[in-house]
Amino acid sequence: MRNLFYLVRKDFKRKWKNPVVILGFLFIPIVFTVIFGMVFGSGGEGTLPQVKIFAADNDQSLISGLLLGALTQGELNELIELEAIEEDEGRKLLDRGKASALLIIPENFGQNIWDGQSTEILLIKNPAEQFLPQIAEEILDTMTLVLSSLRHLFADELDTVRELADLEEFPDEAISALSLQFKDRIDGASKYLFPPVISLKQITLSEEKKDVEDLSVQAHILPAMAVMFLLFICNAVFEDILSEKESGTLMRLRISPVNLTEYIWSKIVISTLIGILCTSLLIILGRVLFSIHWGDPAAVALLVLCLNILIAGFIAFLFSFVRTERQAGALLTTVILLMSMLGGSMIPVENYPPVILIFSKLTLNYWGITAFKKIMRGESLATILPILSVMVVAGVMLSIMGSYFLNKNLKKGISQ
Amino acid sequence: MLHIDHLSKTFDTIKAVDDISFEVAEGEIFGFLGPNGAGKTTTISMIAGLLKPDSGKIRIGSLDLDGDLKKIKRLMGVVPQEMAFYEELTAKENLLFWGKLQGVRKKKLEERVQYYLEKTGLLGRENEALKKYSGGMKRRINLIIGLIHEPKLLLLDEPTAGIDIQTKLNIYEIIKEASSKGTTILYTTHNLQEAEELCHRIAILDLGKILAMGTLNELVQIVGEKDIVIVSGKFSIDQARTIISSFQQATVLSIEEGKIVFSLEASKNISTVLEEFFKKGITIDDVSIKQPNLESVFLKLTGKELRE
Ligand SMILES: Nc1ncnc2c1ncn2[C@@H]1O[C@H](COP(=O)(O)OP(=O)(O)OP(=O)(O)O)[C@@H](O)[C@H]1O
Ligand SMILES: [Mg+2]
Repeated sequence: MRNLFYLVRKDFKRKWKNPVVILGFLFIPIVFTVIFGMVFGSGGEGTLPQVKIFAADNDQSLISGLLLGALTQGELNELIELEAIEEDEGRKLLDRGKASALLIIPENFGQNIWDGQSTEILLIKNPAEQFLPQIAEEILDTMTLVLSSLRHLFADELDTVRELADLEEFPDEAISALSLQFKDRIDGASKYLFPPVISLKQITLSEEKKDVEDLSVQAHILPAMAVMFLLFICNAVFEDILSEKESGTLMRLRISPVNLTEYIWSKIVISTLIGILCTSLLIILGRVLFSIHWGDPAAVALLVLCLNILIAGFIAFLFSFVRTERQAGALLTTVILLMSMLGGSMIPVENYPPVILIFSKLTLNYWGITAFKKIMRGESLATILPILSVMVVAGVMLSIMGSYFLNKNLKKGISQ
Repeated sequence: MLHIDHLSKTFDTIKAVDDISFEVAEGEIFGFLGPNGAGKTTTISMIAGLLKPDSGKIRIGSLDLDGDLKKIKRLMGVVPQEMAFYEELTAKENLLFWGKLQGVRKKKLEERVQYYLEKTGLLGRENEALKKYSGGMKRRINLIIGLIHEPKLLLLDEPTAGIDIQTKLNIYEIIKEASSKGTTILYTTHNLQEAEELCHRIAILDLGKILAMGTLNELVQIVGEKDIVIVSGKFSIDQARTIISSFQQATVLSIEEGKIVFSLEASKNISTVLEEFFKKGITIDDVSIKQPNLESVFLKLTGKELRE
């Protein structure tokens, strides 16, 4: 046990003095998060990205004009780029990913509202995009609520507006001004609940309906990247075994009273510790740079611990199959990349078909990312406890197996 | 202190160590002299418990390597042929680390680190990372790591490979001091002067076998009063063999195309030998005569010259 402590402390000092590799692996997820954050949206509470929406107005009434006008008023104007389009054309272009969503206003939309009948707006979302259609949907959700409320609240005022409708043509400015006015008034009124007259029907082109997305772009990317690069960091720590074999220090350790099991466990312990440090650093950086809300600190801390135990065990296990640095490079890199790909570190698993999702669930990445998101979404510690327990149990078991096989492997290798 | 009994080790088809036996007394410096591939490192690895012998027994004091490896590890210090330490760490950090693993108490360890750093002239640079050290300085640290726990038995595998004369002398001094304090030392080298200067007894090893063993004087007796002559020139193996065999006082030790090594009772006869070469119209490029010393013993036994 004392030897284990000396070994771990020694490795810690070495890494502390020569942290380039580890810092490099820490730097990449941060850079990725910055880049993706810029592409898909920026820091949590800051400005939102512009969403491009095609609008097919099959109604061409005052009300539909108002609705679309309201969508580009004030702050919304910075958020939404609205392009009027024919429905067929819009559907085609959406298929080619030319916009985040297509908004279709049905014929007689305006008439139905005047008549107090319920009606429906159709929002078709671009399945290739994760975040932007969400924004369109949220805005429209509010808009429909607003319009519905409007119908109930301002029944009288609406009649005056109706006069405008009788005009041959609506002056654009008049509509803009009006809709702005409406919007302002409705902002105040929207807290009242009224049964909706207009319902927003939303369709994502793939059949699957997404659940409400409440996390920022960065909150998606950083944990996903973090898990993948933690694997690489752990791998870098374990590669020490091979360089120690090469340099003769492992042989010298074998001559000393240290036994191989102590040595292997020192590597498992040090990589767990370094993993915990790196994850903590990424979490702090995520909070400071990207305003990521990680959720309950106790749950996060527990997850960081369990996840790193699992990662260390997993890498130890993989390492028991390799003898040379080349083998390690080939096997470990392939496994880590494949697992990261399947497990959602590179592409969010929400985009995978169910068949692939089965495999995703076999990866360490999937469970790590899922647990992070669950905590972010405020789920209680109890709900992620099963995941955490599996992580620890699997981590410890893999460590034990890894230690056993590595022991055999190194005993053979050392005599060369 | 160290008892080696009919030790053998074969790798695939190579007999790296072939039935060797020797004993080293307490405080003795025992030289293991042999060319590349003689089996020196293999022998040391077996004594250090890194390699399992195919056959044979190793005892250290009253302990048997098979059963008491744990106890033996505490008694033993090994200085491997490579620089086996952590280059990112400083000299002091390395010495403290390896000392602690050997179970040396903190206070005692710090005293010894200080002592050896001073002794090797590295004091003042102990807080520098070892990767910044020169080759000779690294060799010294490599040596001290093996000595830091004051082992009863010290195995040294070519501890002076590739360093300047000053560092060598420094290392000799440290080894001699350890020996005078009672440490038993197995010293592996392929350097003759080193073996002559440092070792109380020497074993000459080639192709896994011990060819001769004894003190320097005893070994020199092997060649007797004979000198060793090396002649190189433009001749074939057969030509040279015929010429040398025609002399009663000469014995061929080794022979190859253009080079022959033979012993000669009195080197003043060399002119008659050479005349035979000239008579046959053979051009001689070089002739050298070695007085009886370890080198000539080595030549006689192995037919090889030993050069670094
Ligand atoms: N692990 C191994 N596998 C196969 N052959 C080996 C192994 N280790 C040593 N040998 C062979 O055993 C023989 C003795 O090697 P050894 O390393 O003991 O020589 P040495 O006397 O230490 O030589 P050097 O002066 O070059 O260090 C050599 O022929 C070598 O090729
Ligand atoms: Mg050797």
